Amino acid sequence: MGKQDFQVDHLREWVNLYTDHLYAWAYSKTNDKELSEDLVQDTFLVAHQSLNKFRGDSNPKTWLSSILKNKIYDHFRKKYNSPQVLSDSEAVLESMFDESGRWKKEERPKPWSDDDDDEIKLLDDKDFIHVMQGCMKELPQNWHTAVQLKYFSEKKGEEICQELDVSPTNFWQIIHRSKLQLRKCLEKHWFNQSN
Amino acid sequence: MLSCKKVTELTEKKTFTKLSNKESIQLAMHKSMCGACSLYEKQSEKMDQLLKNDYLDNTKNEKLKEKILKNLNQ
Repeated sequence: MGKQDFQVDHLREWVNLYTDHLYAWAYSKTNDKELSEDLVQDTFLVAHQSLNKFRGDSNPKTWLSSILKNKIYDHFRKKYNSPQVLSDSEAVLESMFDESGRWKKEERPKPWSDDDDDEIKLLDDKDFIHVMQGCMKELPQNWHTAVQLKYFSEKKGEEICQELDVSPTNFWQIIHRSKLQLRKCLEKHWFNQSN
Repeated sequence: MLSCKKVTELTEKKTFTKLSNKESIQLAMHKSMCGACSLYEKQSEKMDQLLKNDYLDNTKNEKLKEKILKNLNQ
């Protein structure tokens, strides 16, 4: 048995061991089943092609995750084409603020019912995840991608903008509008639901 | 005095880039007088945590595994 065969045997074992984890992670980032499957398949394809670069003493799960991470990031980057901030977003702002920029009475931030709970607890709640994913999907597509990009990587906002070749101002304004809309949706469907 | 609309913008801008001294002071002044915008910032940070975190489902993907293994054999 050659070295190559030996390594491919390992790779088969990793498919069995790590596919579920890789898929779950891809899905949590993309919220798209088919895409997540494709990304995981591609990950193993790349791993197969670059098995000789894998160092025997590193952790295969970490190695595979880093390949997948690049795949997900590339996906978002390709999908994002710098949206114009102005068109849709003014409507969001107008729905929240009056002409002089004050909160409209019914939009003024109020304490959330879960203000004291920590985030971890909420993220364990399947119903909450469902609501949050639903709210994300209601964003205009490019805003959705902008939000996914911002929260996917540990990269600083400025760095993301450089790589995307978009103006930082445009990018954070989109995130600002997106979060206003998301917040409204979360309040409606979760935080301010009276029990 | 900044408007609340502008303050929510700066609250976001701050997470991307360093604010100018003038902006920082204006933001702090506004928040010290406006409970709604202070609360907005707190809730905005909470949303950041929620959006950043993973929520891993434990789905089993046997079909996907088979598919990948089949590809590797080719």
